[in-house]
Amino acid sequence: MSRASVPKRPVKARDAAPTLPAVQQVLPFVEPAPLVKPLSLAPTSVQRLWFCVWLPGLPLEATRSSDDAMAIVEEQQGIHRVLLADRQAQAAGVMAGQSANAALALLPTLQLEERSPLREQQALEALANWLERFSSFICIADHDVLLLEIAGSLRLFGGLRPLREKLSQGLRQHGFDASLAIAPTPLGATWLARAGRRACIRDEQNLKRELRHLLLAHLNWPEGLCASLTGMGVTTVGDCLRLPREGFVRRFGVEHMLELDRALGHLPDPRNSWRAPERFCADHEMTEEQSDRELLLNICRELLLLHEQFLLVRQLGTQRLCFSFFHLKGSATELRLGCARADRCAERWLELLRIRFEQLALPEPVIAIRLQSGMTQALQAESARLNFHAATGGPMRRYSIAQLAERLSAHIGDQSVHSLNLVAEHRPQFAWRTQSLLSDWASSTLSEVRRHLRRPLWMLPEPVLLPVNNGYPLHQGMRLRLLDGPERLETGWWDEDGISRDYYTAVNPAGMRLWVFRNRSQSSSWYLHGYFG
Amino acid sequence: MSSSLDKLLENPRVWRGRNQAQRKAGLSSGYPELDRHLPGGGWPPEALTEILTEQYGIGELRLLMPALARLSVEDPHADCSEPGWIAWVAPPFQPYPPALQQCGIDLSRMLIVRPKGPSEILWSAEQALSSGTCSAVLFWAETLDDQASRRLQLAAEKGHSWAIAFRPMLARQQPSAAALRLELHSSAQGTRVHILKSRGGRPTVLHNLNLCQHPA
Repeated sequence: MSRASVPKRPVKARDAAPTLPAVQQVLPFVEPAPLVKPLSLAPTSVQRLWFCVWLPGLPLEATRSSDDAMAIVEEQQGIHRVLLADRQAQAAGVMAGQSANAALALLPTLQLEERSPLREQQALEALANWLERFSSFICIADHDVLLLEIAGSLRLFGGLRPLREKLSQGLRQHGFDASLAIAPTPLGATWLARAGRRACIRDEQNLKRELRHLLLAHLNWPEGLCASLTGMGVTTVGDCLRLPREGFVRRFGVEHMLELDRALGHLPDPRNSWRAPERFCADHEMTEEQSDRELLLNICRELLLLHEQFLLVRQLGTQRLCFSFFHLKGSATELRLGCARADRCAERWLELLRIRFEQLALPEPVIAIRLQSGMTQALQAESARLNFHAATGGPMRRYSIAQLAERLSAHIGDQSVHSLNLVAEHRPQFAWRTQSLLSDWASSTLSEVRRHLRRPLWMLPEPVLLPVNNGYPLHQGMRLRLLDGPERLETGWWDEDGISRDYYTAVNPAGMRLWVFRNRSQSSSWYLHGYFG
Repeated sequence: MSSSLDKLLENPRVWRGRNQAQRKAGLSSGYPELDRHLPGGGWPPEALTEILTEQYGIGELRLLMPALARLSVEDPHADCSEPGWIAWVAPPFQPYPPALQQCGIDLSRMLIVRPKGPSEILWSAEQALSSGTCSAVLFWAETLDDQASRRLQLAAEKGHSWAIAFRPMLARQQPSAAALRLELHSSAQGTRVHILKSRGGRPTVLHNLNLCQHPA
């Protein structure tokens, strides 16, 4: 369309010949008749909306493995002190700040666990991974804070309320007790979540009003700063904002002033999007060693479901998986699975795993299982066939050939399942090759066998030396009669396997047809190379 | 008169021999002489066929080649878009691809499986049969008891596949659930095919069947 409009312009210019200078003046505005509209670089008025998930109980939730009363302890100045206690422990009087001994005295059955930042990080990443279904932009803002940009997801999930409900329901199912808040700035959302307000603010005016009432204690500012501000009678964000900026900056540093500005949306607050690793790796640790295979398989199944979810988000599949079964003593037992086509379906992998797992020898009970995926690749979506056969009573293809080959090779080994192909080669033993079904088998047949050549249906793996009587070869003690031949094959002199043979079709008195040859170098020796089956 | 006859025929205790098995057309063996003696005019489809030989290599493959060649290029069930695969489970020697191609077999439809133990042979054969992917499954089993043959027969029905068991002559005395049992003898005059058991047919001996020497 715009191309067509180009030749029109000179026509217009000629029409307007008397006012040529004016046209030239207008030109800069008319001239760019671009094929593609350029991207507007003007500031967009797209409003961002941040969903903050604050996990105050993360140390406990990341460690929890049983229903017993539990508390997390952390070493503070040489003494183990309770950092977090669960509801059961709290009911017995265990509180944060108590020494470990005091807590045990209150509740002898209390399970005490050392805080593990690594485990918390893993739990947070696993959660971030799961949250990727709600937003394409996830940010791990702190050791216990996750931020989601949800302005772009609202339409998909049908509004703020359903999204929020889905998210909080999912978090509960995963065993996390989270404090949620929604605000137009990431920091604002974080502060509101930390304050425990189930706020849902969509515009900046409301944000300002809401933030004014926040206590400084919720801002995660250094304690010294909070103390001196409190000493001045400044206890809320609103009080801070009322202070003269210059004075605040001079006394407490510019950093916190900027933080306030970002929270209110006066300054931009760019965040880094969290990217999960491209390869999947997940562990499942057990509290005690297990050797019950059914239970281990169930754990593997859960890992596979996680794996499926991981790949589903990325639209990827994989052809290789590796399970590692860790034992307390000795090295881990590994189990590698392969399939013909990149796949992510947990059920299909589980089926393969079942077959292999039956044969797997576990030297010792297992304490942990790890699942690692191999190279991932874009998954080609396949349209399923309409199932007419079910209606007509015709045959149903339960598996594809690839699935059958996978099942067979999982049970009896990769090398034992293959297809066949021809090779353009005169030496009979090299005129074919096996072809794996687990890789692409799209390559076509390489050569056409000439029809007049006699070739046996059965080939012996190695030629068998035949005994000779009066110059005639014997087979099973009977003299062979030569029917057809010779066909001279003298080739391969360029490598170690050169041959110089005369091939004959022979028949023994019982009527069996054999393919025999005589070496031309040692003319007396006869060999059997195949049966005409 | 006819109503009383119909009533009699409806009685489940009345066995009607031949007519029963001819519901399904057989898979033409390519040997008219043999087809004449097989119910349905050919190899029983979706069933187990047993071939007993004294040793392997006497012509048992040539007997099957015409039928296998057709299966590898066309589907017996016309509504399927592509032909099925032909699985070879535990062949005693190497099936030689150039010769197979000369016989008209599409090599890209061959599946060779080499399990290690007797139980794995039967497992693999059953998997291939019931998968619905293979139009024919050839397997070489030294041991195949009555129960196993029944399982394979069921798998063949389920997967709409043709199962062919090659067994040594010793197995002749053992019972089998196969729909067709043949004995193959080779002699200088030709191949003798002895039909031991044929569901819906009757045992016969075919003397001097000339197996095709040349590719079709």
